[in-house]
Amino acid sequence: MSMSETVALTAPQMRRIAAIDALRTPAYALGATMAGFATIAREAGFDVWMAVTTSALVWGMPGQVVFASLYSAGASLFIIFVAVTLANMRMLLMVVSAADMMHLHMHKLPLWRRIILMQCLAITSWAHLAVAETIYPRHLLLPYFQGFSLTLFASGMLGPVFGYFLPDMVPPDLLQIIIFITPIYIFLLITTARQKANRLAVALGGILCPVFFPLAGEWSIFLAGVVGGTLAIGYARYIAKWHLEERL
Amino acid sequence: MDDYGFWGSWLAVGLAAFGTFIWRLAGVLLASKIPAQSPVMDWVNTMAYAMVAGVLMLMLVHPTGILAASGLDDRLLGLVTGVGAMMLTKRIIPSLLCGILMFAASLHLF
Repeated sequence: MSMSETVALTAPQMRRIAAIDALRTPAYALGATMAGFATIAREAGFDVWMAVTTSALVWGMPGQVVFASLYSAGASLFIIFVAVTLANMRMLLMVVSAADMMHLHMHKLPLWRRIILMQCLAITSWAHLAVAETIYPRHLLLPYFQGFSLTLFASGMLGPVFGYFLPDMVPPDLLQIIIFITPIYIFLLITTARQKANRLAVALGGILCPVFFPLAGEWSIFLAGVVGGTLAIGYARYIAKWHLEERL
Repeated sequence: MDDYGFWGSWLAVGLAAFGTFIWRLAGVLLASKIPAQSPVMDWVNTMAYAMVAGVLMLMLVHPTGILAASGLDDRLLGLVTGVGAMMLTKRIIPSLLCGILMFAASLHLF
């Protein structure tokens, strides 16, 4: 569809297109990731309700995994709180970035609606928003996000239920392959970022994070983001002098 | 396993949810303060991209759970194949399939 055709779409049409986009691959991939979480959670001693509730309310994979591993280790509630909070710190930047991408200020939503909207934000919907931004006009990006993230949320709720009971049914090799899908899928998606500075940030953050991990542990995601992101924007702005709207 | 008891376990779930919610709320409040298309917003974006890439690489290099049973070489081979296919074809689903198939092949063959 060209931009001139997409301008004429109504918000409900946009939500439907977004829901179908989600069902093409990301919903299954995310459901599989959440299923993967449920297998970890089960080993950690969660019952199925705790696994599903954690997925629904935390809705951020690294924090969930940290939660399950600390829970199985019998860590104190305070440690759990601090570690999960640290592990999901990237939500702050993702929310700001997503609000910017969907031009949220244009829509003048009350605070509680903005909060509910961002409660549904996940890496997958954030990465897809960046793709949708290049296809659809700005006033349709909020409905796009609504359709996409709700569909994703539904599959994200089914995932842990299956995942909790899946290890009894599926051979571990196949399960490994299924769980491998999401990180690769999102990684491929973000390498297509429109701006060169963002693609450079992907490369730097991806390299730095595993390097920082042995020393910095839960802080490594945050550190890789700040260092990688700052180097990327610094290089783009002051050394390469890329025009930031540049498409390639 | 049941060190926490019923209420302790659910309190832990609540705390985990709250710890994440803090950032979302802060993000919503901060978003209305940063002007669109400003250098600060560009910086926020590159940091968000770098953090997401970092999370994903961490899942691949230091995985937890079932994925940890596969070799680092299997996972990196899958990633490199996927990214390579993406650079050549610019099409996500075929590239994803290449990456996944290479991972599967690597798991079983090498």
